[in-house]
Amino acid sequence: MTLQPAARPLVLALADDEHLVGARHTNWIGLGPFLEEDLAFCSIAQDELGHAIALYQLLLDTDDGAAVDGLALRRDDADYRSCWLAEWPADDWATALVRHWLYDLAEDLRWRNLVGSSQPELDALARRVLREEAFHLGHARQLLDRTMGSTAEATDRLTAALAELLPLVPGLWDPPADGDEADAVARGVVARSSAEVGHDHRLAVEAQLSDWGVRLPLSSSGPAQHGRTVRSPGFAVLHAALNEVIDLDPAARW
Amino acid sequence: MKTYEVFLKKAGKDEFRHAGALDAPDPDLALLLARECYSRRGEGDELWLVDRTDIVVAAVEDLAPNHDKPHRHNDGARVAARRRATREGTRS
Repeated sequence: MTLQPAARPLVLALADDEHLVGARHTNWIGLGPFLEEDLAFCSIAQDELGHAIALYQLLLDTDDGAAVDGLALRRDDADYRSCWLAEWPADDWATALVRHWLYDLAEDLRWRNLVGSSQPELDALARRVLREEAFHLGHARQLLDRTMGSTAEATDRLTAALAELLPLVPGLWDPPADGDEADAVARGVVARSSAEVGHDHRLAVEAQLSDWGVRLPLSSSGPAQHGRTVRSPGFAVLHAALNEVIDLDPAARW
Repeated sequence: MKTYEVFLKKAGKDEFRHAGALDAPDPDLALLLARECYSRRGEGDELWLVDRTDIVVAAVEDLAPNHDKPHRHNDGARVAARRRATREGTRS
């Protein structure tokens, strides 16, 4: 096994988040508000799925596609370690955009927390991923900078999306139940605890909302996710959809 | 929204080439979207965006004024023959 045991729960949680958020983003293929944005958003989705695959490969210690599919798609709901913010459906563009921003702001901090990791594979992957993350975050910020406050409808819809999603943010910083995060920090797998990184995220969200003139309370607790062991209400439907083709013929070779 | 014309250049001596166009509200977002729409697969190492309204466009009827004058279309054959004759000392 490439990954030391202390790293595995954290890596699985990050992998599942990247996978689920990427899968949710892909729902916008062909539906983006204009062609260029459609391409950009789907490309970001592809990046996130790419990060998930790279992490699953580290966990499995193989790049075998069937093995990666097995881990990514064929687990029971309770065995996923994704957070609700990543799993959440975003059928309105405002919700998709706000989740993209909240998630990528967090993702950027989480990968930074892996730079210099005592696990060299994580350090190398983080350095590669962060080059893409700078673009993701810039994309989310630029679109929100231009839409927030542009028209009453845009502001109302974005504010409603923030009110819906902000309570899910604390769950993002809930470390996976089956890991010992303090041990992972002590071993240098990650530089800082989820609570510390989550605090930075909170400050960044607060500063940005204040810039946008949005007055919404930030939640310090949301729906209980019990160390990422409880799936959100829409997860089962999404999980079934992701498995739809495999279920037709689980033994098929592609 | 504005329309921007996209130009890409590979490293080395290749010139900038027109790659297409895109719509964006301003230059910053145009650059961001151009990266996604035109350079995801290493199509270029340098990128220019030109606001379409900044392009000076010639009138079609002013172009190719000499297309019906064959003597303007030198294919080089006569000059090449003259050079060959000089080299071989057979030039009269």
